[in-house]
Amino acid sequence: MFSNIEFFIVEAFRSFKRGALMSLVAVGTITVSLVLFGIFLLLVINLGNVVGDVSSRLDVVAYVDKDISLKEAGALQIELAKLQGVTKVRYISNDESWKEFRKDFGAKLDLNEVVRYNPLPHSFMLTVRTPELLSTVADEVVKNDLVVEASYSDKMVAKIKSLVDAVRIGGAALVILISIATLLIVVNTIRLTVLARETDISIMKLVGATNTFVKFPFIIEGIIIGVIGGVSAFLILKLAYDAVAMRLALALPFLPIMTDQGLLLVVYVVMIFGGTALGMLGAYISVSKVLKQKF
Amino acid sequence: MIELINVSKTYSNGIDVLCNVNLNIGKEEFVFIVGPSGAGKTTLMRLLYRGENPSSGKVIVDRVNVAELDAEQVPYLRRNIGVVFQDYKLLPKRTVFENVAFALRVTGAPRSTIRRKVMQSLELVGMLRRASAFPDELSGGEKQRACIARAIVNNPPILLADEPTGNLDPTTSWDIIQLLEKINKRNTTVLVATHNKSIVDDMKRRVVALENGRIVRDQQLGGYNV
Repeated sequence: MFSNIEFFIVEAFRSFKRGALMSLVAVGTITVSLVLFGIFLLLVINLGNVVGDVSSRLDVVAYVDKDISLKEAGALQIELAKLQGVTKVRYISNDESWKEFRKDFGAKLDLNEVVRYNPLPHSFMLTVRTPELLSTVADEVVKNDLVVEASYSDKMVAKIKSLVDAVRIGGAALVILISIATLLIVVNTIRLTVLARETDISIMKLVGATNTFVKFPFIIEGIIIGVIGGVSAFLILKLAYDAVAMRLALALPFLPIMTDQGLLLVVYVVMIFGGTALGMLGAYISVSKVLKQKF
Repeated sequence: MIELINVSKTYSNGIDVLCNVNLNIGKEEFVFIVGPSGAGKTTLMRLLYRGENPSSGKVIVDRVNVAELDAEQVPYLRRNIGVVFQDYKLLPKRTVFENVAFALRVTGAPRSTIRRKVMQSLELVGMLRRASAFPDELSGGEKQRACIARAIVNNPPILLADEPTGNLDPTTSWDIIQLLEKINKRNTTVLVATHNKSIVDDMKRRVVALENGRIVRDQQLGGYNV
């Protein structure tokens, strides 16, 4: 078999060149499918990022007495940090809250004109591990005498949680569906290139070629088609994403657009290897099918 | 070498192509299979290289029942049977040399062996100087010679020719039959299915006549008609 490899590769390139139009159609199909797949993958990852970013704000705010001493506050912070499920406790002085508050409303009116003193209490921001812990932590917190009130936004958290789940499950389902659709398209396109060479196959079979021997050049041709399609898809996607991500980041700076080069690299590698695998698998399936049906 | 025992073949549309055929062909024989169109000549040949399976009966080639062969074994059977067609079945985008070499390439033969054997085969059929021509550039007779060169390049013990002169003028037909006889003398069993009355009459070889799927005559030194 080893002595045949050169023959297979020569045959594959020859066939690719001879059926240039058909090969280009197959390359184009793989490119378009992979670009769509890639766009979708990036959308799902980014949407997951946005949702994840929002849902990571699992905070309980504990408002404490305005006249609390610094020492009491320190002790309270240590105590709050001990609560189960709490990952972080941050002390927010009423000055800090006031500054934030004025910044949020500052554009509309100068609050210092209306309210002469700072009406806000000191508070602690408790970050919990999961949304389910919010209410229990809040209940625990209120039991402390120094805490006046504890609040968290529980409806929003529930909504965000279901959105996260929907995006993850729906995204995974769609990625699988698109993969299958892409494979089907590629199989059928390569099937045309195989059928165009029916005479060659029948003659090969007649002079005593094994099925493996017949399949090999087609599989190599499929790999060539797949690599070209995958690399094209990668280039298109990379150029497009870089341009779009940069503009979005400028226009909507609060959106957590993914610019993590490592994760992007994974997406691009998936494109190229996915293209190669698609070409190979598509060729294998279609040539096996034709061999089974006709010879 | 070749033995058919009670072989019948019925197509899925219910037509009986071969009925209870019994035939025994020895090593290095030269046999004509004659009969009108639709008599079952082509089917009989296809059974020998497992182009088809019989509905019943045994097809024995070189002591092996071809009908019971595993699909994986069929390629190896075919390497021992050269087949020549009326329509040549040459690959159009390849030269004569490449077409002949193709039959050896699929066996995984090394390049040096391929070159030597292809040259020998082309020389035998008188096509050495046309080795680099494409099928389109060849006359009918030359195409058939190229096809024969491909069929014998593996030195198969059996050569089947289905209407090898069907598309050729009388002089060329005669040349091709002479070539097949030459190959027969190199220890190859040769079966020729044909309509060509004058060739069968002139050659005076064993004649097996088929009619409606049955053998109606099997005669040594026979002619096309009784």
